[in-house]
Amino acid sequence: MEPLSRFFYRRSEKALSDATLQASISRTTGKFVGARADAVAAFPGFETARDEGSRIKRETLDRLDHHLGRFIDEAERRGAVIHAARDGAEAREIATRIAKEEGVTLAVKSKSMVGEEVDLTGALEAAGVEVVESDLGEFIVQLAGETPSHIIAPAVHKTREQVSKLFVEKLGEPYTDKIPELVAIARRRLREKFLSAGMGVSGANFLCADTGSIALVTNEGNGRMGTTLPRVHLVVAGIEKVIPRLSDLPVFLRLLPRSATGQPISTYVSVLTGVKRPEDPEGPEKLHIILLDNGRSGILKGKYRDILKCIRCGACLNICPVYQSVGGHAYGWTYPGPIGSVLTPLMTGLAEGVPLANASTLCGACADVCPVKIPIPGLLLELRADERDRGLKDPAEVFGMKGYAAVMSRAGILEALERIAGVISSVFLKEGKAPWLPFRFSGWTDRRDFPAPAPQPFRKLWKKQRGIRPWNR
Amino acid sequence: MEPVGRKEELLRRIAVALRGHEAIKSASGATAGREAALSVADRIARFRNMFESQGGNFLAGPSLDPLLPELGEALRISGVTALFSPRGDERARLVAETLVPFGPFRLASPGEIRQLSAPSSAGFQTAEFAIAETGTIVQSGQKGKTLLPGLISDVHVAILSPAAFVDRMEECLAALSEDLPRTISFITGPSRTGDIEQTLTIGAHGPKKVIAVLLP
Amino acid sequence: MALNRPIPVSLFFTCLADAFYPDVCFATVAVLERFGAEVRVPLSQTCCGQPAFNSGNRKEAGKMARKFLQAFAGEGYIVTPSGSCASMVKNEYPALFRDEPTMVALASFAGERTYELSQFLVDVLGVTDPQSSFRGKVTYHDSCHLRRGLGVFEAPRKLLRSIPGVNLVEMEDSDRCCGFGGVFSIKYPHISCRMAEDKIERILATGAQFVTSGDIGCLMNIGGMISRSGYPVKPIHLAQILAGNFEVPS
Ligand code: SF4
Repeated sequence: MEPLSRFFYRRSEKALSDATLQASISRTTGKFVGARADAVAAFPGFETARDEGSRIKRETLDRLDHHLGRFIDEAERRGAVIHAARDGAEAREIATRIAKEEGVTLAVKSKSMVGEEVDLTGALEAAGVEVVESDLGEFIVQLAGETPSHIIAPAVHKTREQVSKLFVEKLGEPYTDKIPELVAIARRRLREKFLSAGMGVSGANFLCADTGSIALVTNEGNGRMGTTLPRVHLVVAGIEKVIPRLSDLPVFLRLLPRSATGQPISTYVSVLTGVKRPEDPEGPEKLHIILLDNGRSGILKGKYRDILKCIRCGACLNICPVYQSVGGHAYGWTYPGPIGSVLTPLMTGLAEGVPLANASTLCGACADVCPVKIPIPGLLLELRADERDRGLKDPAEVFGMKGYAAVMSRAGILEALERIAGVISSVFLKEGKAPWLPFRFSGWTDRRDFPAPAPQPFRKLWKKQRGIRPWNR
Repeated sequence: MEPVGRKEELLRRIAVALRGHEAIKSASGATAGREAALSVADRIARFRNMFESQGGNFLAGPSLDPLLPELGEALRISGVTALFSPRGDERARLVAETLVPFGPFRLASPGEIRQLSAPSSAGFQTAEFAIAETGTIVQSGQKGKTLLPGLISDVHVAILSPAAFVDRMEECLAALSEDLPRTISFITGPSRTGDIEQTLTIGAHGPKKVIAVLLP
Repeated sequence: MALNRPIPVSLFFTCLADAFYPDVCFATVAVLERFGAEVRVPLSQTCCGQPAFNSGNRKEAGKMARKFLQAFAGEGYIVTPSGSCASMVKNEYPALFRDEPTMVALASFAGERTYELSQFLVDVLGVTDPQSSFRGKVTYHDSCHLRRGLGVFEAPRKLLRSIPGVNLVEMEDSDRCCGFGGVFSIKYPHISCRMAEDKIERILATGAQFVTSGDIGCLMNIGGMISRSGYPVKPIHLAQILAGNFEVPS
């Protein structure tokens, strides 16, 4: 999808003034955060699993060529056709070619963030294939012509009334404000599609190198249906999804659902290996796997490698006070929240995405909850440093920083300035507070005061009180 | 067809990217959640606890007969009328057949259930594993087994024997790895969604009720 | 709990406290001296460079960090009333100088000796009773860098709880960020204010008279909003509560 992250400031202002959106974000994130905390507290092995998961992911990335090569070999041996896509355009082209060659007119898709990343649905639809999103949240978002606002719960920004209106308008269903009835409508409408679709499209939560297996985790059961009933199964997965062994999977199954929704395990986990065998009564006859690079091999190269450990649990979104304030759409691309603030500048370009990297207080709540221990604040700091190195910073900021460093280079200069400020403030400011600040700082004082400088700085008072001692210079 | 070399090119690109950038030092492997093996009774108790806490229904008895009224009632209140079991699964067929008099039930074929116009159904199948750690039922496609009962029915009835219980996910995967089937399906409770207003709602696409029946 | 030998402590008073809150610096000195520290104040110190580092301006941050390391080159402890400044020295200097081994060595020498005030009192001096005369209902806000960067959670609470006149009430999500974030609060003031409002909502819910913290930035942010909207709660630095009533020179 077309990134809009450079407009983060404006988009975030809009989000903050949208009351309905605000209510739904705080409800969702609140529930997720509580559920995660309870699940972690109930599972004493969580920290050990985190260490283990983090280590396995990092070691896999460190030898990704080897592990991905193994995955390709094993999957091919079991009948899969592997495609490598350098970028989104190639992925779209491959997918539409497959649909055409396989004669597919209707496809059911389960939730896939990579699918969003390359706009797979859009490409298939443009090629004349009807694509039905089968995850309820994605189904809603698709009907509304929107994009997901959360990587785990795509339609969290919608209320039941909005969903029902959508079902009335687009599906001709009667209005209801009962959630179970809405779910039943979607179940019925989608069941039709599952039974008649020629192709199931899915992402992959994990790719197991030693067996060429795809692991898919869902709660609704759409992932299973879409990969069991249609004749063709198309998988799109980022190259970083590989884990070395099928036997590594349990570690991640202990981490992912607990971090995502607070469940001990997701309702459904499917491990899919190759195509339907002669003795199998069901399963796809054709399995196509598109391995997507789209900038990932570039990320692998440098100091950002750790971000590729991400298992897309969404825990960092839920805990993030910035995400909690502005919601997913403000971020302007596929991946919102802390994970998106690192991935977007790396994948769509620093100039496009760096506003996201700057939109963080570096509070560290994300790193605290990340199941694979990605040091997100540290990576945000690196992005900000790159922004400066590549000359992308606002000249006013650089100028200000230089001036500030110059003042701070000599205690004498600093003290002189402090005293001038102290005099000005004692003459002009009332009650020791500044109700406004000039220039770029003006936003600070829109809704809060800034303290007035003390009439005399501490260093001056200290000298007065204690005199200058040899060690105090 | 795939232009030759794209895959190779991808792997080469990755290899180049990795060159000259240090790998982290490997820590020795710790293993999470490994505890002493449980006794069979503890394992079953643990399974039951986890399974029920995630919305599953658990029935156990010395034989099938005393369980039939309760099982029949559970299906009846879910509106089930058609019962089916996969070909070759004698145990499941027996349970389904014996249950017919305990409600407004009749036997149906898997083919009938696959139709869109299918009646509300219960699918009976012997489960291969039950994982105590997570309260998970495991069905696989090994040796040509079908997955339909746990997939498209409205109520999934999984028949378990004490030998099916394992402590952890690893054991089940290891056992299935010897002859890896095309599909391994972990099922933990009924199908659910929280996609509308974060409200947990049962019965998104899969079965609305999952009943584990433990028979000796 | 007077100790036999004076403990050498260099006060890292931080640029914000120097210019805006001299009282906090004096309170810090008072508490340290109460427990037998010999407090020195290196007057050549300016700023640790945190605002520049956190905004990605590493060249400027490096300049200030060098300056800091010169000012604090001696032996003895370095104590500061600000968690984020301590975390900057301890956690970020090594990253800042990662390409200069000698600087890394200097930085870690300083980092090892650097403590936030409450951490120093409890972990190094073993203070159990701060001997403060302060009275009031107090709620404590965990600064992100003190809590997560330095792992300090219990120390300030322990100290506050052992002051007879203090009634410590916990707020919900005490370690939720207040929205300051240095340059963030200038670049994204609307989000910053929103986060501060969320924080203040939780503070007000406790009915406390005072909100305290071990970080000057947080208090400036929270306090700025309290002062603008006239909320019935007073921001006060942890050092000032620990010091109790003492003479502030003018
Ligand atoms: S960065 Fe960590 S917490 Fe965030 S989505 Fe990825 S794995 Fe989850």
